[in-house]
Amino acid sequence: MNSLRILVIGGLTTYRALFNWVSPWILVPSLLVMPLAQILLFSYIGRSAGIESDTFFVVGNAVQYSALPCLLGTASTVVGERLQRTLGIVLASPAPRLALVIGRTLPVMLNGLAVSVFGLVAGSVLLGLPVRPATLGLATLAIAVSVFGCTGLGLVSAAVGLRLRDIAVLSTILFGILLLCSGADIPRPALPGWLAAAGDWLPLAHGIAAARSVAAGGGIGGVGGDLAAEALLGLGYGMAGVLMLRLLERRSRSAGALDLT
Amino acid sequence: MSVIEVSRVSRHYHVRSGLRWWRRQEIQAVRDVSFHIDAGETFGLLGPNGAGKTTIIKMLTTLLLPTAGSARVLGFDVASQPGEIRRRVGYVFGGDRGLYDRLSALDNLRYFAELYGVPARAQRQRIAYVLDLVRLAGRERERVEGYSRGMRQRLHIARGLLHDPPVLFLDEPSIGIDPVGARELRATVSALADAGKTIVLTTHYMYEADELCDRIAILRDGSIVAEGSPADLKSRVSEGEVVEAVVHSLPADAIARIQELAGVRSVTVRDLDRAQVLLVQTKPAAQLAAEIAGCLRGTAIQSLSVRAPTLEDAYVELVGGT
Amino acid sequence: MSAGRLLRLVAVSWYLHLKMLHRSMFDSVMQVVWPLFFATTALLVYRATGDRDALSYAATGAAVVTVWSAVSSNASGILQRERAFGTLELLVAAPAPFSLSIMSIVLAVTTTGGYAVAATLLWSRFVFGVHLAPAWPLPFALALVATVFSFGVLGFLLAVAAVRYRAVFALGGALELPLWLACGFLVPVALLPSWLRPLSWLLPPTWGMQAVRAAAAGQSLWADLGLWAGSTAAYAAAAVWVAATVLRSARRHATLSLT
Repeated sequence: MNSLRILVIGGLTTYRALFNWVSPWILVPSLLVMPLAQILLFSYIGRSAGIESDTFFVVGNAVQYSALPCLLGTASTVVGERLQRTLGIVLASPAPRLALVIGRTLPVMLNGLAVSVFGLVAGSVLLGLPVRPATLGLATLAIAVSVFGCTGLGLVSAAVGLRLRDIAVLSTILFGILLLCSGADIPRPALPGWLAAAGDWLPLAHGIAAARSVAAGGGIGGVGGDLAAEALLGLGYGMAGVLMLRLLERRSRSAGALDLT
Repeated sequence: MSVIEVSRVSRHYHVRSGLRWWRRQEIQAVRDVSFHIDAGETFGLLGPNGAGKTTIIKMLTTLLLPTAGSARVLGFDVASQPGEIRRRVGYVFGGDRGLYDRLSALDNLRYFAELYGVPARAQRQRIAYVLDLVRLAGRERERVEGYSRGMRQRLHIARGLLHDPPVLFLDEPSIGIDPVGARELRATVSALADAGKTIVLTTHYMYEADELCDRIAILRDGSIVAEGSPADLKSRVSEGEVVEAVVHSLPADAIARIQELAGVRSVTVRDLDRAQVLLVQTKPAAQLAAEIAGCLRGTAIQSLSVRAPTLEDAYVELVGGT
Repeated sequence: MSAGRLLRLVAVSWYLHLKMLHRSMFDSVMQVVWPLFFATTALLVYRATGDRDALSYAATGAAVVTVWSAVSSNASGILQRERAFGTLELLVAAPAPFSLSIMSIVLAVTTTGGYAVAATLLWSRFVFGVHLAPAWPLPFALALVATVFSFGVLGFLLAVAAVRYRAVFALGGALELPLWLACGFLVPVALLPSWLRPLSWLLPPTWGMQAVRAAAAGQSLWADLGLWAGSTAAYAAAAVWVAATVLRSARRHATLSLT
């Protein structure tokens, strides 16, 4: 009955508690300047190489960059709680686990969505591309689904991060892998086959394809398959992540593996 | 000759708290403090946390500028001649930090020997000497991350002594060390004092100051509330008696009633886990034990005793019982 | 202190900090892997054109610029790390010039960036089949070292600015990719929008990279090296001045020991 409350309030409070050292001086560079820099860098590389269009790179990188806040955000809300010694308290509380997990990740997803949409709009403006409200609306939907996919992967990386004790490495490496194989910058024909195949089974590739299609003026009908694939991947990874976390929790209770005190 | 002269020094900070980083608050850390320290003296700055001890040390080691007043170390002004002072003083603080954990003790000392300009040719000998002095010889090639707190603290002191400074600042060196480690540390400090170093020591442990210091200044809320030799400070309260009572759930008005008794000089209360310790300092021959017990009627008294005052009582009276 | 002593201070401090940096596997691996992701992505884009010259243009630039990833992400955090160790106050309290202590730490960080250069060169040789055969190998190497050094000087400026302004810590990461773009490593400066070009000219690595490319093509690199030297010296002087200013300010505002 109070699942929703746990979901919203619990999630927001943790996010604030873990990020309250973050001042605007840190947020602006990492969430606004860095994605823009990546968008511009690859757009100009594209111009210099004479390959694809500005839109190709703006959309690709704006969506791909959301992977960083999603992966790091999810992992650090989960692992950060261990650092702050609150993980034990949270895991031991009778609150429904699924609501807890979704509550923890909801602010992360909203953050990722905002970062991506900002990158898309600001990048388009800087490169002189038109921004049409209808297109932006559809693109936002595609981004939202992509962000959901990345956050699902973030839960898996959080679970692995709990074992490895270093979440930043894993999140960063995953971000790099997604940069390579999601097709954010490299046109699909130029992508080595095994990278493209990996991309198909990771979040983002389908989401980026959908976002590009709507940015080119395509309707929602043409991207249904991609969006469904992206959402399914997110759901799959998310469920795997939650299962791994629960398994870890159970093992920690029997073996005392996590510092739960 | 005074090695350190502090004259009417004040220092305030602006702090921003929590999320509201735009709201500034001013804190007076040190207020109008004056004292002087002679060559070869061991001088103690004693007081509870936040009394301003560390701030004074940081001003004297040139890390902080005084906001008012002036201070000289070895004749050099702390504000305008930091370079001269830095070459001639050693600075050691307590706690876990201040060392490179991933390096060995030897590498740590090599590094700071360079920073302090110890001549290359003299380094090896000097490092061996300070390691020996703090009884770390033979373990210098181990990484510091494996050191105990006591060992780290001794390594800190070795680091502070690398350039053989005539003046040594020790900021709460015994914090967090176990009793055995603390005793060894006191032995090291007193050996340094015997060797003629001028030492400024901050601590909130009474016995440490009593054992090591020639003179003590007691700080409260940034001001010196008493200064003198340990014997001087003890004599301030030695004419009276102390009535010490351990009680449970002390009623609020009991303290007021005791304070009104003729012959009571001060009343302090300290909270323990499940009880409170009531300390009543009385004038000589006041014989107040029975009357105090009367004021506590209705309260569960675990014990009540009358004894002669100690240096700790002087301290407790001066800093207000916390 | 004499010049010899100061040189020795830099050398010992550089060596010991390098030793410490090597003890963190995470830092070492990430410093190579992270820029390699970006370099690989850029090279895959260029390879798609089928233009070998463009690919080797990008491979040369990518190899050099990877150093900046190591420097920008670490240099601004140096002060934060020294603060966390509790050694920052000790560095300031020591008689050795503070900017020299910090510079030697930045040099150690820049040195570790060299591994990324080597890794990227090998990567482009064996994965992308790019054979770099500079027309003038020795000047090429000289210009390469010069460019890397100018990254170090930029990192030095970031590091000392972070003494007082802790937000610089985050700024370091945000400056990573802008320099990839602005200094002609992967995209010719001439292709950048006109408002951005003057900014590129103000950055020493731009001239260093021009010199690298000139040496690779067998053209005179001395004019570029001259501009490199001038701009690098200006940044170094600025950093020394900033160091003195922020230290004075830190003594006044009590901002040294804040964790």
